[in-house]
Amino acid sequence: MVVGVRSRGARLRSTAFGYANVIPFVAFALFPFYYMVITSLKKDAELYNLQSVPFLIQSGVITDHYRYLLFRTEFLTWMKNSLIISVVATSVSLVIAILAGYSLARLRYRGVNSFGTAVFITYLVPPTLLFLPLSQVVVWLGLSDSIWSLIVTYPTFLVPFSTWLLMGYFRTIPKEVEECALVDGATRLQTLTRIVLPMAIPGIVCVILFGFTLTWNEFTYALTFVSQTASKTAVVGVTADLIRGDIFYWGSLMAGAILASVPIVIVYVLFLDYYVSGLTAGAVKG
Amino acid sequence: MSAHVSRRQFLTTSAGAAAGMAWLASGRAPAFAQKRELTFLSWNHFVPASDDELRKQAEAFGKQAGVTVRVDTIAHLQLPTKYAAEAASQSGHDMIIAQTQTGFLYEHQLVDVQDIVDDLGKKYGGWYPFSKEMALMSSGWKAVPWFWISFPATYNQAHYKKAGLEVPKTWDELLKQGKVLKKQGNPVGIPISHGNDANTTFWSVLWCQGGKVLEADGKTPAINSDKTAQVVEWYKELYKDAMDPEVLSWDDASNNRFMLSGKGSWIHNPISPYNQALAKSMPIADDINHHNSPGGPGGIHSAAPISGISIWKFSKNIDLAKEFIKFHFQKENFDAWIVASNAFNHPPLRNFADHPIWAKNPKFAMLPKEAEYAHARGWPAKPNAAVNLIDVNFALPDMVAKAIAGMPTKRAMAWGEEQVKLAVQGKLETKGKS
Amino acid sequence: MAVGQRALEAAGFPRPGRLERVREWWEQEHVFGVGLILPALLLIVCLVAYPFGMAIYFSLSDYWVGSPGGFVGLENFRQIFQNEVFHRTVYNSFVFTSIAVVFKTLLGVWLAMLLYRTFKFKRLIRGVVLLPWVIPTALSTLAWWWMFDSLYSVVNWTGIRLGLIEAPGPNWLGMTSYAMTAVIAVNVWRGLPFFAIIVLAGLVSIPREYYEAAEVDGARSWGRFRHVTLPLLKPVLAVVILFSTIFTFADFNIVQVLTRGGPVNTTHLFATLAYQTGLQGGNLGQGAAISLFLFPMLAAVVFFQLRFIRRE
Repeated sequence: MVVGVRSRGARLRSTAFGYANVIPFVAFALFPFYYMVITSLKKDAELYNLQSVPFLIQSGVITDHYRYLLFRTEFLTWMKNSLIISVVATSVSLVIAILAGYSLARLRYRGVNSFGTAVFITYLVPPTLLFLPLSQVVVWLGLSDSIWSLIVTYPTFLVPFSTWLLMGYFRTIPKEVEECALVDGATRLQTLTRIVLPMAIPGIVCVILFGFTLTWNEFTYALTFVSQTASKTAVVGVTADLIRGDIFYWGSLMAGAILASVPIVIVYVLFLDYYVSGLTAGAVKG
Repeated sequence: MSAHVSRRQFLTTSAGAAAGMAWLASGRAPAFAQKRELTFLSWNHFVPASDDELRKQAEAFGKQAGVTVRVDTIAHLQLPTKYAAEAASQSGHDMIIAQTQTGFLYEHQLVDVQDIVDDLGKKYGGWYPFSKEMALMSSGWKAVPWFWISFPATYNQAHYKKAGLEVPKTWDELLKQGKVLKKQGNPVGIPISHGNDANTTFWSVLWCQGGKVLEADGKTPAINSDKTAQVVEWYKELYKDAMDPEVLSWDDASNNRFMLSGKGSWIHNPISPYNQALAKSMPIADDINHHNSPGGPGGIHSAAPISGISIWKFSKNIDLAKEFIKFHFQKENFDAWIVASNAFNHPPLRNFADHPIWAKNPKFAMLPKEAEYAHARGWPAKPNAAVNLIDVNFALPDMVAKAIAGMPTKRAMAWGEEQVKLAVQGKLETKGKS
Repeated sequence: MAVGQRALEAAGFPRPGRLERVREWWEQEHVFGVGLILPALLLIVCLVAYPFGMAIYFSLSDYWVGSPGGFVGLENFRQIFQNEVFHRTVYNSFVFTSIAVVFKTLLGVWLAMLLYRTFKFKRLIRGVVLLPWVIPTALSTLAWWWMFDSLYSVVNWTGIRLGLIEAPGPNWLGMTSYAMTAVIAVNVWRGLPFFAIIVLAGLVSIPREYYEAAEVDGARSWGRFRHVTLPLLKPVLAVVILFSTIFTFADFNIVQVLTRGGPVNTTHLFATLAYQTGLQGGNLGQGAAISLFLFPMLAAVVFFQLRFIRRE
């Protein structure tokens, strides 16, 4: 928090202090990733050798693990499934959350508080409790073993948090802007789509990122509702097919972990600034 | 913000992408398969080639019968979740791989397969007795015993030679040898943790000592006995003088790593470490060998895991499923499948057991014999829901772990008995849980 | 909102047709409001409330995997209360959640303040620090498992080389307190970015003027922190602690992959015990009872935290 004028020395010391303190956090965060990368490129013989140094590759880099993952398993299909599921489920949740968030934040009607509470309470119900009854519902809907079962059920945990976040964001938009629009003859729907939404983009991006992360990483439902290899998600596929009995294909597992993270890292990198400012208004001023 | 995307552009492109994705996804929806489809849920085999062979046979059968056959495989630890979901929703695969307790838990949801069992038994020399233990329920045969996995001792010849020792014939011998080997720097390893192997070995050791956990009626606890106390004491001494503390956190793959690292000298495990070493061309493969599971005052017994094939009652293809099973059990097919598994899949039928893949390989020759003294967990009781709970809660290894951590053996056994009583409390009499 | 109809009629405008009347009905605040929230409510009723009701029914019945049994009242709950393993699980859950959340809060605030400073590579570092949160937990936990492995542990290897641990190093996942430490460490690793980024957002929204005013009043770093930053961060912190508590209490993946509840049930949480009892053991009724136990505990925690937020 640099306020006011400080001497050059003081500023340099402050910067150095900043760096020095951030480095342990960065190391803590990155350490497992570095290890995962190294393991995915290491020969098995070296991996199981107690004498070898874990952090280096001493017997030559191999791409076998990646090749096994990409060509001997259906990894690419799983990635495609995950992508489709995440995009569609997040979009659906976004629409529902925008509508609900606006309704709860701006409109007055009987029961608005109880609806708000109901939406929030949903968040407390853990997936490990719901998944078995939900599997029956999924079958009734005829969606068993298809990626649509996930697209339909993922919003159940995305909508509560997204609604709450967007509520906070909508509340920061000055009422006068909306009232002006209404007086000018816009319908409520037009006010929402043409006036409010464009001003809420950071919040929306935040919801998209959050949604994408949660759907991409989800495990329980993806395991329960889908068993066909061609329909598995990336996370389930990697853990299911690369762990056989008591044999772990560590190299490919780590390769899978890394490759499965790539899309989501890309999404974050592109929208990181939106994420922070979206949270700023939504989480803070909500 | 550095991204100079106009808001409108952003919204429209995102909406477009989402719509595109939805369209893509919908294009993949319900199959086109007008042909009947037979589905089989199995586990991810240790040896991927075994699954490949299974799929090949599925395809061959499919062509022959004019249907498509689909084999889905998932990790074996994920199977219970799938079973529960399929039973609850009364829809899913036609055939499933039945683990030891599956028949008991789902007795009334599975088709009676006595006709196939009798047929195959007559054709191929009869079933080994212990295959009945997991497949024959009070209401009939609910699973066709499919294969069992041998659980011998896997040891490192080089370490043994260095110590000048012969392979142990009893668990007591193992204890004595273990002390010597640990001093040499190559301890033995038996897991005492929350893992399947920990259960298997405990059952084996307990039976060899002459003890049991439940009486044959499957309800009365029999665990609190001096035989059990002797077993617990044996474990304590083994842990102290012949093993390293790491066994307390072992999962099923840890003992494999223990052997492959060269550190371990003896473990109780199927042949997966050897196969893995061969597959990855690791030099230690030459040193690894096997010998039959040790015995004790109560004889030789081992808890080799056995699996079967079951058919859900809700399946619409029951007769087709039965045809497929008969097809798979034809000698050429079953033999091919044994070979593909690299000797892992042991047949529960006598006539298949003298396959050259075991007889000809000195490292595998001793394995088929295990069928003579193997039992399903829970013996002398059947592997019912109570036994399953005991296994799944790892009550037996936990009992040992508590004793190792300092609890007096008597008290640890009382705790074990308490856990067994709680497990039994879960309904045994009615609705197919016995 | 259309001006009074009669006024319009009086002014000579024609009476609106049916379509117009529907539109006007739709424009009313309460109709529009309820209409907008309908999709969310539908989703919740069909896919959450209904299965939740079923789960409650399971917990009150003798429901095993192969055969849904009959109503047995509170029998399942009585049985789990008798079980020593369940008592241990309750203890574990509270220990795990409280320690993990405390660490995440302290470290999260510290990290957020570090990230708040302007320096080069800010975006890169923020991105890097977010990685543990972004990567799928099911996969990253596998990596941690290997890092804690009894034989090959990288953690031990590093500790020994740095002189912090004596060879051969503790068996992290096999010894009681060490296992809990390991599980908490992985949870903190995974959850810290979530905290840090939200708190950072909170810091960003504190207007500069407050700090300038404080400086003018003679406050130095610690003073500014105590009197400006902390009070203004309280609402954000309260909210993020709330969500984090919910997440952490219901955690499943980390414990299941690392220890499966061991050693000797000292790391079992509600979710893992419910999974073991219900799905692996087949006793779904009891499994549901254990899972349901989470709910009142969470509700209590949430209630207290919400009261705290509202008061602010």
